[in-house]
Amino acid sequence: MAYQQQQPQKRRQDLRSKKCAFCEKETQYIDWKDYPLLKTHVDYFGNIRKRYLSGTCLQHQKMLRLSIERARFMAMLAYRK
Amino acid sequence: MNPQTSTATPELLEDEADVRIYEIAVLLPYPMGQKEEQVAIKEIESIFKEAGAREVSKDVWGQRGLAYTIKGSNEGNFIIYHQEMDPAKIREMDTALRIVPGMLRHIIVTPPKGYRIVKYSETYEQWLKERESAGEKTKREREEEIQKSIADKAKRQVKREKTAKAEAPTEVVSKEEIGKKLDKLISEDSIEI
Repeated sequence: MAYQQQQPQKRRQDLRSKKCAFCEKETQYIDWKDYPLLKTHVDYFGNIRKRYLSGTCLQHQKMLRLSIERARFMAMLAYRK
Repeated sequence: MNPQTSTATPELLEDEADVRIYEIAVLLPYPMGQKEEQVAIKEIESIFKEAGAREVSKDVWGQRGLAYTIKGSNEGNFIIYHQEMDPAKIREMDTALRIVPGMLRHIIVTPPKGYRIVKYSETYEQWLKERESAGEKTKREREEEIQKSIADKAKRQVKREKTAKAEAPTEVVSKEEIGKKLDKLISEDSIEI
């Protein structure tokens, strides 16, 4: 039997190894008015990006969620596209 | 119980002006008549005065697109106030703000301790400029790539033409020359075959 040696597939980066971007900057409070920052943590459909994918810690994710909800209420961000 | 302490504590509480800074954001529809806008803003600020608030800062954002329509308006004008006021009067102010005619939304937020007031109207404009520059960069890069590819194609074509020209005449000339030389050689008398 002639086995064709397959090249090993490139493994995806281990997402758990990502570090929290807010922890590195030592942010104490995420402002709901900071549209450029919030926009990066929301996907096309208006959902908040998962913590597992973005790498943010739980503490900052909660702060982020609160600020995004406030921004949604004030029609800066969409609830659903 | 020490009578001195029991009497002292309420006095202290009364003396201490219990005051906090509150952030109050107001959303007005953008295509709004000047008179109507002025009336609305006056009414909002009169509510703050009634509550005995002291204005720390005021930031007018101007025209902004809304993520969804509110009462048929797609654009709005944000005004963000930072007021120093008594927390006991916040509820009254909230109810009063709900009744203001022509106002789309309002929100009252208690910023944390050590919060620095940032004027987001300026930062947003900066961000817009940066984003534009980023878009221009991508456009330039694309144009450069296209130009490079065109130049490469032209170079290749020139090379091909050159090689074709170089190859074609050499073959023809060589055959003719060879023929002439052979004729000469044959016609020469000195050579005896």
